[in-house]
Amino acid sequence: MAPDAAQGSLWDEPQRAPESPHPVRASPRILRVTDLNRRVRSLLDADAILADVWVEGEVSQPSFPPSGHCFFTLKDANSQVRAALFREELTRAAVRPTHGMNVIIHGRVRAYELQGVYQLYVDTITAAGAGDLHAQYEALRNELAAAGLFEEGRKRPIARWPRRIGVVTSPVGAVWRDITNVLRRRYPLAVLVLSPTVVQGTTAAPAIVRALQRLYAQPDLDTIILARGGGSLEDLWSFNDERVVRAVAGASVPIIVGVGHESDVTLADFAADLRAPTPSAAAELATPDVTQLGTVVVRLRDRATAALLGRAAERRRFVDAERRALVGLAPDIDAARQRTSDLLDRGARAVDARVARRRSLVESANGTLRTLSPMATLARGYAVALTADRRILRDAGDVAAGEPLQVIVARGRVEARVERTSADGTEELLS
Amino acid sequence: MIDDAQLDALSDRQLAERPFDELVVVLQQTVQRLEGGSIGLEESIRLYKHGLRLHAACETRLREAELTITELGRRGVTGAEPEG
Repeated sequence: MAPDAAQGSLWDEPQRAPESPHPVRASPRILRVTDLNRRVRSLLDADAILADVWVEGEVSQPSFPPSGHCFFTLKDANSQVRAALFREELTRAAVRPTHGMNVIIHGRVRAYELQGVYQLYVDTITAAGAGDLHAQYEALRNELAAAGLFEEGRKRPIARWPRRIGVVTSPVGAVWRDITNVLRRRYPLAVLVLSPTVVQGTTAAPAIVRALQRLYAQPDLDTIILARGGGSLEDLWSFNDERVVRAVAGASVPIIVGVGHESDVTLADFAADLRAPTPSAAAELATPDVTQLGTVVVRLRDRATAALLGRAAERRRFVDAERRALVGLAPDIDAARQRTSDLLDRGARAVDARVARRRSLVESANGTLRTLSPMATLARGYAVALTADRRILRDAGDVAAGEPLQVIVARGRVEARVERTSADGTEELLS
Repeated sequence: MIDDAQLDALSDRQLAERPFDELVVVLQQTVQRLEGGSIGLEESIRLYKHGLRLHAACETRLREAELTITELGRRGVTGAEPEG
């Protein structure tokens, strides 16, 4: 069936001169939707290749409604197509489609007029070998891990109080809005530098790399956030692109990657200094909470006050201690006085003792003197004879008979006259 | 980082225009010096006055903070539509 024939059956009024290379422009023909879809369908039905195709792709989101049919999306890294596997074929199929399964399908492509879409009507489905997205992901992950891009030791700490934060994301859509909202509430002290980029489609990967590099050229950035909202595996695929992953690993400053939802982990996440589960979480991880900062600042002021008061109290204690120390010196003076007094006492006592000793010496000398006095000798019965010229007579020969003598005894004196003298007679006294 | 002399030279307004993290760090250092031993009462009072000024500057910064957004050249934004 030739397309021209089909065209003829679809239009109520054929164009006036369809064969003319320069047709006169007629007033626009207005089609009903049904007519449009019917024409598309007939075009597709007329294509011999589409009527008998082999397609390789990955099964995504298969559904199994009660009708017993199976509907799913068949896709690769860049494209997707809807597929229908009716109950009869499903029963005969070698495999039951599951999400993420890589398959080779045989069937035909037709338009489904009711919804205005074209679909792949599957009659044969078999599992394909390697080469699916997941295997690509794993292969690249292993390669980049071996190259050391994901090592923990490479990860740098995120600035605690960033002044300038670079953000790579799409400027349209919820992600950028979420990030600015979080930062406005949480850390309005920061300056945000947006480096806009597309984040999906075949041009996304190089665009993301360019956006990152624009930020890397910026001076004074403290942190970079690379963010994208949730989506299908294919939507997020550019974050598994080797160029993007390497660009993330080469970030000039610590980089936080927040892509998709909690469960989405891309290779860019592994290469980041910090992985955030979502874009909003990335904004939170990049900044401190300003309300807590207020508390920190107030606490510092309180510490300063406490320290100053403490210092003043310490000074007062010091002064008090000094005063007590001064007071403490007073008993020492007393003690010194006491000591002096003791010394004086001791001195006095020593002098007294010495005087007493002297006195006793004098007394004893007195006794001695008294013993030595001639009076004491006289008292013992001795007598002293004095000649007329008052000499003590020691030798009988010194006097002659008839000469006067004065004899002194213990009590009184005797006037005598020498009768005769003799040389001996001393022994008589001693015998 | 602001030192004591600079702090004395800056007006309160100028001080409040310094980066917030710097203000907090200097405040922190001031408090630590206050808390440390071996400074006299005169020095303590001087440090305390510095601390009060830094604190006031932090408060001003927090009160007046407004998120600043700049955008790098819009090349690359074209084609932001998802590709089919």
